[in-house]
Amino acid sequence: MTKVSAVAIVREAVLAMLAERGHRGAISDHDSLFFSGKLDSMAATEVLMLLEREIGIDLADADFDITQLDTLAQIEGLIGARV
Amino acid sequence: MPEQDFNLALPFARQTVFSPESVMLAVAGREYSYGQLGQQVAHLAGALAPRLQSRRVGILATRSLEAYVGILAACWAGAAYVPLNLKWPEERLVALLQALELDALVVDENGAALLTPAVLAAAPDLVVLPAGAAKEAARPGQMVSERTALDTPPLPGPVQVRADAVGYIIFTSGTTGMPKGVMISAGSLDHYIAQSRFWTRYTADDRIGEACDVTFDLTVHNLFLCAEAGASLHVMSQLELMAPARFIRSHELTVWMSVPTVIGLMRKSGALKPDLFPSLRMSIFCGEPLPAEAAQAWAAATPNGSVENIYGPTECTVVCMRQTLTEPPVVTPSRGIVAIGEPYPTMEVGILDERQQPVAPGMPGEIALCGPQVAIGYFGQPELTADRFRMLDGRRWYLTGDLGSCDADGVFHHLGRVDNQVKVKGNRIELEEVDMHLRRAAGSELVATVAWPVSYGSAEGLVSFVAGSEHEPEAIREAMLESLPRYMVPGAIHRLETLPQNVNGKVDRRALVALLESGRAAEAAA
Repeated sequence: MTKVSAVAIVREAVLAMLAERGHRGAISDHDSLFFSGKLDSMAATEVLMLLEREIGIDLADADFDITQLDTLAQIEGLIGARV
Repeated sequence: MPEQDFNLALPFARQTVFSPESVMLAVAGREYSYGQLGQQVAHLAGALAPRLQSRRVGILATRSLEAYVGILAACWAGAAYVPLNLKWPEERLVALLQALELDALVVDENGAALLTPAVLAAAPDLVVLPAGAAKEAARPGQMVSERTALDTPPLPGPVQVRADAVGYIIFTSGTTGMPKGVMISAGSLDHYIAQSRFWTRYTADDRIGEACDVTFDLTVHNLFLCAEAGASLHVMSQLELMAPARFIRSHELTVWMSVPTVIGLMRKSGALKPDLFPSLRMSIFCGEPLPAEAAQAWAAATPNGSVENIYGPTECTVVCMRQTLTEPPVVTPSRGIVAIGEPYPTMEVGILDERQQPVAPGMPGEIALCGPQVAIGYFGQPELTADRFRMLDGRRWYLTGDLGSCDADGVFHHLGRVDNQVKVKGNRIELEEVDMHLRRAAGSELVATVAWPVSYGSAEGLVSFVAGSEHEPEAIREAMLESLPRYMVPGAIHRLETLPQNVNGKVDRRALVALLESGRAAEAAA
């Protein structure tokens, strides 16, 4: 998995979930997705599953900091660091 | 002799005087002491108190400073607090705001994003916003102000509240499509705190995790017992709840309370390892059945702590029954779950038949509850209140709709919902029983079964959903056939990446049915 394709897959999934939940208007790379309530826990699970599959993040790691996945920029940063 | 004061904020007010430097609240990366919060609460209460007519203050906020200041200020001013769910759609928010006739609405940043013109028009005459969130009033006479900009003098202390005054209104899902507002009196909460105090034994050294939205009444337990003890409350974001290990460890929590689904999620990802949480001295699970295996796995992860399974409907003030995890555990044999234990000494439990008569000892029936924690009723719904709260032999009982039994040791067991009993082709089936076998066959706790399709009130079959299982659906079916009659084995098993949850984190069976109705189940399957 290349970085570019992993980023594209996750970004597309996040935008699709926002649309599905009726979010209108543009979303910037630095907008809060989860703390803002735009996305719910179901969506968070989906993002985690994608990251697990695409870049092998380890959810069993007790120090895994999920709060660093709140914006598209943060998610892409994580992917960049791993791939 | 002066009348006893039941103001819910009294214990908090005492801490602001006796331990003003102690941290009370850690939320969104910041910490607030009892003293700091006391000032903010007294200030907001000063704006609320002169406006009280209905004595109801709405809280359109959760997991935020605004939510906690709003709740405590409503109490301090002598009003009932009414959490409104940020996940409600606009139409529902408008309908409930119109019905509630609130005196004021306290809003946090996420709540402010929900203040559309229609919501603001239905909102009360005072709307309190967080700093930096500007909104125009929707009508003359309505005041929309940032909290910090309120210029009314602070209310120096909590006002006197009577035992029968409404303390809070918390909404629960209603079968009619709109949620029901459960009204709990200040006196009921006082009884609840008195009975919960002796087994939780919170002290000023406790660091209590808050996993829930304030719309869920587990937060009532945490907030008021925390304030009374002078402990600290550590509020998680919903995102952190998806992978809570880091939060529990970094905050060195001593007390944990959540729905059992959290254990299932952690076991699925492999995160729940033995000795993971040495700081936890007590873990409390509530809100849905606690599988014994899950409880034991959590106990192994918390070597210095106990595990408690508590049970009770919102209609009887948070909970009123408790079972400590022992070795071996006290389980409900047919379901593989931890028993719901014994009632608080002030509460009485009845197991009743369809005519509200006690069943023979040991037999299953509807769980009914009686005692000082029973709610006032449902807000604005006298008929529904009369249906669920009944006078039986001169005393007022709440009919839970839960099926239960009492064994020879006096231990109570939860056997499912009265309305989760289904008939499939004439056979009576408890969905929980199917789920228990499904869990075992799938090797996962994250399972749920629904009756589907249903026509004319009778189901044609069962469909199951499984998350976190390594087994193929056909293999799961074959394994289930080994322990269940064929008519109780689901016709189809769909593997999903995760099970939908309702706003309280429980598995949402209705969403699963909707998935089937829409024909998207196969598509959603992993």
